[in-house]
Amino acid sequence: MTKTKGKNPPVVTLNYSKGDLIIKEGDYGISIYEIISGKVGIYVESGGTETSVAVLGPGMIVGEMAFIEGNTKPRSASARALEDCCLEVWHPAMLLDAYKKMPDILRLITGQALKLIVRMNKRVVELSLKQGPSKDGQTQELSDQWTEERKCFRKKVSLDCVFRPVNSPKKVKLIGRIRDISKGGLQMTVKTSGLLNYTLASGDELFISTNFTLDQKVNMTAKVARLQKENTGDMISLGMVFTHLDPDDRRRLGFFLMP
Amino acid sequence: MSVSSEVLGYVVSEESYADKAVIVKEGSVGDWVYVILKGRVKIKKQTSGGLLTIDTLSEGNFVGEMAMLKHSNSKRTAWAVADGPVELGVLDSVRLAQEWESQPPKIKKLISNLIQNIEKSTQKAADMIEASK
Repeated sequence: MTKTKGKNPPVVTLNYSKGDLIIKEGDYGISIYEIISGKVGIYVESGGTETSVAVLGPGMIVGEMAFIEGNTKPRSASARALEDCCLEVWHPAMLLDAYKKMPDILRLITGQALKLIVRMNKRVVELSLKQGPSKDGQTQELSDQWTEERKCFRKKVSLDCVFRPVNSPKKVKLIGRIRDISKGGLQMTVKTSGLLNYTLASGDELFISTNFTLDQKVNMTAKVARLQKENTGDMISLGMVFTHLDPDDRRRLGFFLMP
Repeated sequence: MSVSSEVLGYVVSEESYADKAVIVKEGSVGDWVYVILKGRVKIKKQTSGGLLTIDTLSEGNFVGEMAMLKHSNSKRTAWAVADGPVELGVLDSVRLAQEWESQPPKIKKLISNLIQNIEKSTQKAADMIEASK
């Protein structure tokens, strides 16, 4: 699903299927996307209803607002693939230097433009809520389809972690290694000989701690969705789905997963 | 908001407008940019029901910047009308354009995209206000 072009920092392209969530309002994310093909809808949520504020096509940019705001604010709108889409992901580091070197006046003008669009989008949302669901489907009730988890970037890693079943004493520290991780869950391998007297089964819930960087500890709670014996015999592989992440940990994970 | 000295450095001339005077006409061609030195300016959009105020700008805000930052054409996208007596600084358009053009392509794309989105959502808001009348 990913392809890397050039180097340092890499430009990544991602493919999304119709209906996939690309950006979720309220999340902390800093990537900027350029639409290579397909259409992307921009939505703002208010009072349980999503209002379409724009439909963007090839050549247009998605997610630039968080960048201009200096990445200090959560995403102000959601972006969803209206058809199968291919997006090029720009890491903000590619642009930050250039943006900082920009003459003050251009930054001031950009800042004014940003404030205006935020106000305009708010106005569109207020108006469409007042008018109720319109014929052209500008607003719609949040349904399962629209609240589903975003299609995530699954990152291959090799991270040591400690874990224990949620109902075990806090001092229990079992050792595993995370092999890949996404916003929805992770896959880890565990040596059966290191499990002490514990056995693991599908449906078990585990507390897992690891470090994304030297000083950044992250705690996760996840349920075993799939359990598989590796060929070597002594290893098992666990497919885990997150059941709880604190907002801070979720944010750290978001940054860690950035393409 | 006061006008920063950085911005004042770009001012090449000053213009005064009386209350309700038209500063920029929607649909006309022009890409000079103003900064409001004193007073307020209303930004209005043409709808079939008449002119609709979409924004009110004050001291330190820019007027006419959208035409400059779009790369396609430089048609004015809205009316700018004095709301009471107004003093505007006309910015050095050659210098601004040069500085804008010398930005990396990705930065330019990002900002002109933002401007396009403003136009879209302004148009949408205007259409909806009109429809609700």
